[in-house]
Amino acid sequence: MNRLRAVFLLPSTLVLCVLVAAPLAIILSYSVLTRGAYGGVELPLSLESWLRLADPLYLGILARTVAMAAAVTALCLALGFPLALFLSRAGNRKNLYLHLVMLPFWTSFLVRTYAWMFLLRDTGLINTTLIWLGLIQEPLSLLYTPGAVLAGLVYGHLPFMVLPLYAALERMDRSLLEAAADLGAQPWESLARVVIPLASPGIRAGAVLVFIPCLGAYLTPDLLGGSKTVMAGNLIQNQFTHARDWPFGSAASLALMAVILVLLAVWVRREKEPLL
Amino acid sequence: MNRRTFLMSAAGAAGCRRNEARLNVFNWSGYISPRVVPRFEEETGIQVRYAVYESNEEMLARVISGNSGWDIVFPSHYCLQPMLRQGLLAPLRHGWLPNLANLEREFQSPPWDQELRWTMPYLWGGTGILYNARLAPAPDFWASMWEARMERRITMLNDPAEVLGAALLKLGLSANSSDAGELRRAQKEALAQKRLLRGYLNAEVLDQVVAGDVQAAQAWSSSAQQAMDESGDLRFAYPREGFPLYADGAVVLRESRRAEAAHRFLDYLLRPEVAVLNHRTARSASCIRLPAELRANAVLYPPADVLARGEWWKTPPVSVQRLRDRLWTEILSG
Amino acid sequence: MRRLLGLYAAGVYAFLHLPLAALILFSFNASRFTVWEGFSLRWYRAAFGDAQLAEAAANSLLIGLAATAVATAAGTLCGYALWKRRSGLVAAALHLSLVTPEIVTGVSLLAFYQWVFRFAGLRLGTHTVIGAHVTFCLVFVVIAVMARLRTLDPALEEAALDLGASEWRAFREVTLPLLWPAVAAGALLAFTISFDDYVVTSLVAGVDSETLPMVIYAMAKRGVSPAVNAVSAVIVTALGALILVSERLRRA
Repeated sequence: MNRLRAVFLLPSTLVLCVLVAAPLAIILSYSVLTRGAYGGVELPLSLESWLRLADPLYLGILARTVAMAAAVTALCLALGFPLALFLSRAGNRKNLYLHLVMLPFWTSFLVRTYAWMFLLRDTGLINTTLIWLGLIQEPLSLLYTPGAVLAGLVYGHLPFMVLPLYAALERMDRSLLEAAADLGAQPWESLARVVIPLASPGIRAGAVLVFIPCLGAYLTPDLLGGSKTVMAGNLIQNQFTHARDWPFGSAASLALMAVILVLLAVWVRREKEPLL
Repeated sequence: MNRRTFLMSAAGAAGCRRNEARLNVFNWSGYISPRVVPRFEEETGIQVRYAVYESNEEMLARVISGNSGWDIVFPSHYCLQPMLRQGLLAPLRHGWLPNLANLEREFQSPPWDQELRWTMPYLWGGTGILYNARLAPAPDFWASMWEARMERRITMLNDPAEVLGAALLKLGLSANSSDAGELRRAQKEALAQKRLLRGYLNAEVLDQVVAGDVQAAQAWSSSAQQAMDESGDLRFAYPREGFPLYADGAVVLRESRRAEAAHRFLDYLLRPEVAVLNHRTARSASCIRLPAELRANAVLYPPADVLARGEWWKTPPVSVQRLRDRLWTEILSG
Repeated sequence: MRRLLGLYAAGVYAFLHLPLAALILFSFNASRFTVWEGFSLRWYRAAFGDAQLAEAAANSLLIGLAATAVATAAGTLCGYALWKRRSGLVAAALHLSLVTPEIVTGVSLLAFYQWVFRFAGLRLGTHTVIGAHVTFCLVFVVIAVMARLRTLDPALEEAALDLGASEWRAFREVTLPLLWPAVAAGALLAFTISFDDYVVTSLVAGVDSETLPMVIYAMAKRGVSPAVNAVSAVIVTALGALILVSERLRRA
């Protein structure tokens, strides 16, 4: 068995070593090298890139990224919980409704982000509709704002919150709600004191599934935020392309990974069911 | 069909396409007539892959590795020295470029490449302010782009040299300043301006200017003329404090193994009738001599008194370049 | 409360579907502005007539199929091996590839490739993109396969082994047929992810490997032609259909 298993594991191990581990090792080494005159990396070794990260400017970007991710998570939770509740009580149409939630998500992420550009532009659908309805004269500048990025991220990640919530709520024992009602609780009370606590594993899972990807978001702030809403992903992309400062970009990438891994470690410790 | 067969045929299909005679050209967007490449392909049988970029940085990011796959790129004149120092360029063989004589006299031996060893000057222009005629008073100072009345209706170029340059000129300094103190003052100005801006955009902004959503944009003269062709409400101003001048020229990359095909393409671009065709699309002042009536455009070929206010970009020393890049990252992150 | 929830759900569904529906609707708009001026297929004609789009679509298909083939093969074998006996290291590496932000995957692969190319006379191209896509598609195939394996009864394979079959034969003739729906589902998922990828591809693509998302991104940024609406509508419908099939297979 061991030999077969080793052979079976070989292709994936190769891919993981060569294309996941080695690249991360390379950027780790780049993060302690110096930027060449016009780009590239060269000796001497230097911690300058890491020290530069401690500048309040870049800590500010990290803080903004965390804040945006937290806002997206909170909004997804607020919007997604009632929907998950509805789904869990939907009876025989459950699968259909579930598919309807997932359907936009299964299509192209790029296209869905572009759809928001199409809506929010000055000449976009929302503005032309409002002008046509006579509600405004000049177009509102909706695109290239933090709000646009927030909307785009919530739109992109809502299904990730709804599914775990739905899974947790569906497993919930209905008799507990009946018991609460028998004891005289109002619907809102039983919601707050019975349903939500029982759904908390789903809430935690959904929060992680939304928060972590949002930390690394790049495409949404790039297309919807213009160069005004700079998140960690935009900074990293910029350093590896236009700015050609690979050491600094590498340090920023690893810092972002570190934040993500720390958060995950905290979560994994509390959860029982692994994904793999 | 099992997996192995499938993989083999996929690899085969990928390889097939590489056997044609190919030339890979990377140029600024909107810098060539859509008819030029098909005509060249028909005449010479050389298939051209033509892709576009919006900024020198975008091009350099791809090319600096030395194995990008491009044969010809079009850097601005001040990028020439850095590219040369990185060993990225192949010398031009004048024997393969008989049409070089078609260049305008001042571009036959420009200060940045006096013997035209490395570059073939292509199009030139200046940076100014493209604005909507309804704006009163007209923004013909760089300082106008810092006024509160412009809030959210203006953009600047997505180019560190241009943004810092405009700020330096606003402060009464030279856009080519190498002084760290002056550059930091310029950065402060740029950061103060940031909240007024809609964004840092190059040619992407033209649509919004034509539509009237953006009232004033820092723009290159060729982009401005393209926009003005689409809308009669637009004007272009070369700011009174001074403005930068640039010349974009073609270079053959040292990594290219298709030198002869590359030179044939460049020689084709140097033909007078092709230059006129390109002018109709790019709407830029050309380094190749155009008929007098096309040179009568005051936006593209500013009169002597306006031109006197312009200064050609200079290649900054390495330390200044590094400082500029760092200041730009800070501006974008602020 | 029931009715309130129902109304609310309708609202959220509208929020989820409106942007795409609007996009698809306006891809049939005769005018290039966002004012409806009549039904027209002109943008579809423009999109299908565009040589650059056609080449990009062909590239995306080629890369998608190649990456899917490799990722599915490697991922299925890996999932099976992990089911038999867990390997902390491999599982950890798979988790890592799952949580790494796309931008970090992209820049690390770019740095890696350029480092390797200093010694080998290679350059970025279709092969580097395929390699990158295999990297992030692998874990999804593994997850799909392992989810299915957990529902299988190990006794079936054991019975085959007792009857004298080799381990390889037991896998091929007992487990694998039961696994096919999950493998196919994983493959379709991998293809969708690969086809749609922009961030990683844009960083590691070469001169000859422009993909459809790269073209769409450039068109979206310049904001010029509504042909991008037509292309988007086609992509959305095609990928949506693919995933529906994948879901059917997964639940089969």
